[in-house]
Amino acid sequence: MADSALADGNVHQRYCLQFYNNRSCPYAGNCPYNHKLRYEVEPVAFLKGADFFLGELPIPANQRPCHFHKIGQCLYQDKCRFLHDNDGSLRGYHSVEGTGPICAVLKSQPQESVAFSIVNLPSTSSQSNLDATCLTVEKECASSEACSVTSENNELRGEQGSEQNLEGEAGACASPPLVIVNNKNWVDAPEFVPRSKPKSYAQVVSPESLADKGDHRRLCPYTTKDGICVNVATCTNVHGDFCDMCERFTLHPYNEEERKRHKQECIKQHEKNMELSFAIQRSKEKSCGVCFEIIMEKATGEQRFGILPNCNHCFCLTCIRKWRQARQFENKIIRACPECRVTSDFVCPSMYWVDTKEDKEKLIEDYKKALSRKDCKYFKRGEGKCPFGNKCFYMHAAPDGSKIDVGPPPRQRRQRHADTDLDVLQVMLWDFLDEREFPWHSLADDLEDLVSFFTDSDESDWSDYELFVD
Amino acid sequence: MANIAAQRIKREFKEVIKSEEVAKCAIKLELVDNNYTELRGEIAGPPETAYEGGNFVLEIKVPETYPFNPPKVRFITKIWHPNISSVTGAICLDILKDQWAAAMTLRTVLLSLQALLSAAEPDDPQDAVVARQYKDNLEMFKLTAKHWTNAYAGGPSINTECDDKIKRLVDMGIEEHQARVALSSYNWDLERATEQLFS
Repeated sequence: MADSALADGNVHQRYCLQFYNNRSCPYAGNCPYNHKLRYEVEPVAFLKGADFFLGELPIPANQRPCHFHKIGQCLYQDKCRFLHDNDGSLRGYHSVEGTGPICAVLKSQPQESVAFSIVNLPSTSSQSNLDATCLTVEKECASSEACSVTSENNELRGEQGSEQNLEGEAGACASPPLVIVNNKNWVDAPEFVPRSKPKSYAQVVSPESLADKGDHRRLCPYTTKDGICVNVATCTNVHGDFCDMCERFTLHPYNEEERKRHKQECIKQHEKNMELSFAIQRSKEKSCGVCFEIIMEKATGEQRFGILPNCNHCFCLTCIRKWRQARQFENKIIRACPECRVTSDFVCPSMYWVDTKEDKEKLIEDYKKALSRKDCKYFKRGEGKCPFGNKCFYMHAAPDGSKIDVGPPPRQRRQRHADTDLDVLQVMLWDFLDEREFPWHSLADDLEDLVSFFTDSDESDWSDYELFVD
Repeated sequence: MANIAAQRIKREFKEVIKSEEVAKCAIKLELVDNNYTELRGEIAGPPETAYEGGNFVLEIKVPETYPFNPPKVRFITKIWHPNISSVTGAICLDILKDQWAAAMTLRTVLLSLQALLSAAEPDDPQDAVVARQYKDNLEMFKLTAKHWTNAYAGGPSINTECDDKIKRLVDMGIEEHQARVALSSYNWDLERATEQLFS
């Protein structure tokens, strides 16, 4: 909208909104606008609003006319930080407003504007057709001084300053009210908006108490997103106040509840962010006890911690898993921490290091919860048999979703080796798929551990298995 | 995989160089080849043992699967110890076999070997002859171990009696090391050693 309202000459100096907001522009190299990202441009400038897009120096807020005041709708009244000027630079505009009873504020909506103009053009008429008709109309009413012709409004526009360009053409007529659509900016042709808003009976009776303070109006999505609403004057939404926490215009100016809710959300988000940065901070220097590399500095995809539930030694997931799969040692050895030899029954993957007991418990609980929502690949929804019985971390459910308790794991533990190898392969593949899906917890299973625990044919017996119970 | 092994050895190597044990000359580590698969370790005989004052050289071979498998270590310096073969230098130490843990390093291995020198395990022997002597005649074992330390590891205590016996066997045309092994095995009984050598 804003773009079309501007003269073509400025095109190259202005920024492409598509690229600016979405980092991509469908026109790519052919786009006539300047391709720049928001971050490349001064953040202060972008907060100043629409001026920025015109490539002009931002005008301080108190020197810029208030768009809402212009249409007699400024809810801030005296407290408004924009200029409330009734004569001065806005005189032209207001004098137009005062000329007749049917004064209109016009909006850039071509179809409606056509419908509004006296010239009863069919709304589907092509542009050339429209132009031709316009010209005729111009001739017909050329003698009438009351008729203001939009194409001649350019001078007036110059006086009003560039800001008003944004609103599209503002034109109004006395009797007969007539709008001639400028052929270049026909898209911006004005729309009829009654000056005085329709009032309800209650409002007429008690205008103070029931005045529409905009409590229930929606926040303008443009302001919320970028801090810029290019149609400030005609935007029917409320424009939020600046929130210090999220640094966006997201605070509802009138609705206290909404404000509170947003602030709480922001605080929650902030706490989350803080937690995350603490997690990163404490994970940053941690090195793996097996490969000795700093885990956060490893290749992408390997920057994961393998948390052992029973001790506090730090390993990367890859290394600790590999160690626990080692076939050349007894189970007792590989299931123990390589540093302190305290046995742990599984490894919990995590993106960050946890050092407190509470954090660790929570992590493990989350991990188990996440696993319990996934179908066990051994149980196969009732088709297969899971060697871990009801001690399995994964979900044992029938195809209809009902949970099935398969009882404790069988005591017999020897398996045919050919089968086992196949199973391990499946588990690995599954792991891989999981990792893609869930970056934080990467619900990668600990089944590898269990498999190695299982298939290793040494003395460790099923009594060890009790360890799977919490 | 070789990559992770090499990377780790590189790190460990730096760690050992900086460690305080090196500063105290208790352990030493140097590269044999440039791809970090073969190293040479050196440990000082622990004080107040028969090995005091000696310097024992070790051959360390790092497998491709390191650190998930232990390094292969053996003594190059001849040593008289129940858990170390007097012939091959092979070591019987659990952590170098089934008790290995991926978090162990060359430094901990060297320190463990040093500890092994001061605390032999005769019940889990590598060299049965030495172990028997250790159990049956501890004094004789200490004497022999000291002598070996002096003869091969540069230990300070010189036992003239032993040297004389070896010299007599050498005079008979026996190679010195062979003579020492025979005498050590028979508790420095010259007659029995001779008998064994010429039988």
